[in-house]
Parts: sequence; C-alpha cells; structure tokens
Amino acid sequence: MTTTSRTVEKPSNYEATAWRWMRYSSVALIPLVWFHVLLQDVIVGVHKIDIDYVFVRWSNIGIQIYDILLLAFAFAHGMNGLRQVTMDFFHSDKARRTASWLIFILWLVVSIIGAFAIIAGARPELV
Amino acid sequence: MAALIASLKTTFTGYFKYRGREGQLSFLLHRLTGLGTLLFLIIHIVDTATVYYFPSLYNHAIEIYRSTPFMIGEIFLVFSVIFHGVNGLRISILDLYYPAKWTIKIQRTAVRHTLLLSVLLWLVPAYIMLRNMLVHNFGMFGG
Repeated sequence: MTTTSRTVEKPSNYEATAWRWMRYSSVALIPLVWFHVLLQDVIVGVHKIDIDYVFVRWSNIGIQIYDILLLAFAFAHGMNGLRQVTMDFFHSDKARRTASWLIFILWLVVSIIGAFAIIAGARPELV
Repeated sequence: MAALIASLKTTFTGYFKYRGREGQLSFLLHRLTGLGTLLFLIIHIVDTATVYYFPSLYNHAIEIYRSTPFMIGEIFLVFSVIFHGVNGLRISILDLYYPAKWTIKIQRTAVRHTLLLSVLLWLVPAYIMLRNMLVHNFGMFGG
C-alpha cells in the first residue's frame, strides 16, 4: 500500500495566502450565500422583489452590513477563482500578470459600485 | 500568438480528455458551477446597484428576472450554489484539517456523497421555485 500524503515546506507568498483565504472564505460563504439565496430566490421569490422592497431592506443597517459582507466575501472569492482558472490557461509570467491585473481592476470597480449602492440605498422616489 | 492559442487548446481539451473519473468530474463541476455563479454575480451586483444610480432601470431588470428562461436558469443557479458550497466545504475541510485523507479511494466515495447530498439539498428549493414559476408565469395552482 503506497501513501499519497507527504509533508512539504509551505511557502509564505501571495499565492499561498490567496489559497488559504479561498478556504477561509468558503466557510464564511456557506451561511452568508445559502441564507441569502434561500430567502430571496426561494422564500420571497423574484415576483415579490421591486425597488421598494430593496429600499426597505437597505434602510436596515444590519442588512446593509450583511450585504456588504456578502459582496466582499463572495465577489472576492469568485474573482480569485476566475484568476486561478486563467492561470491554467496562461503560462507566461507576462500573460499571468496582465490577466491578474485586469481581474483585479474589474473586481475593484464592481465592488466599489456595489458597496456604494448598498450604503447609499435605493431611491424609489426617482422612478 | 500561435503558441498561446496552442497552449489554450491543450489546457481546454485536457479538461475533457484526461480520464480522472470522480475527481475529474468534481473538478470540472466545481469550475463550471463557480464560473456560472460568478457570471450571475457580476450581472446581479451591477443590476441591483441601479436602485441607486438609475432607479428607473431597476424594474426593467426585474422584469427580465421574472421571465421563464431566467427563472429556469435560476433553478440551475441554485444547484450551482449548493454543489459549489458542499464540494467547496469538502475541499476546505480536507485541505485545512485532514490533508492525509486526500487519497483516490477515499475521495472517489466522497465525490459521490457530495453529488448525492447536493442533489438532495436541491430538490426542495427546486420544487418551490418551479412551483413559483408555474404560479406566476402560467397561472397554475390558482396563480
């Protein structure tokens, strides 16, 4: 019987930190995402959601904090996952750096757009 | 450029040609469900943000979500989220606490259990969402 487990020297660089955080965030995302999807998609349902519903939700500081956490963890986890997939396809340092920067910029821009909307809240009076 | 395209092709065909049985299947499903969820997430963040930036556009976005193709897509999105979560938790727990359990024998069984658990967890929400769709879009069950 051969064994596949072995001990390796663990590097402490950016990739190792990102690797660990993919695992930590996965544990946080189980309750965050599952409860969000269960509530909005299954219990409430898209036919009961409109701008007034979002207005009421985002008038509550607890829900705003919840949604900010969801945005921060889920979107960073997803974009780093996308980066890991692209690393499979691009092998040169230059292509990997370019792809990583593009993904980072997209992550930053969309995160700021989303976070600002959550903090500022909905404006149903403008519809 | 030719070398880049060749390497893209090698990686992509390798995803399907490599015969890694259960491990390969869970790898592919994990990536597919992850990328699918991410695509939805980008659209979802931007369209929900319109409630602040362009409030009059939000109801148009919601109309699209209420259409039958999107509601069917949403049922599969929920499966993606459930599978990616169960499988991701399996990976996290093994990597962080039990790396010695990463053996082919144990993981072949674990992959089957993960898939089974994901489908079981999906059945009830899928039923409720399908029923919602039939009620609202087809006027069934007294909708």
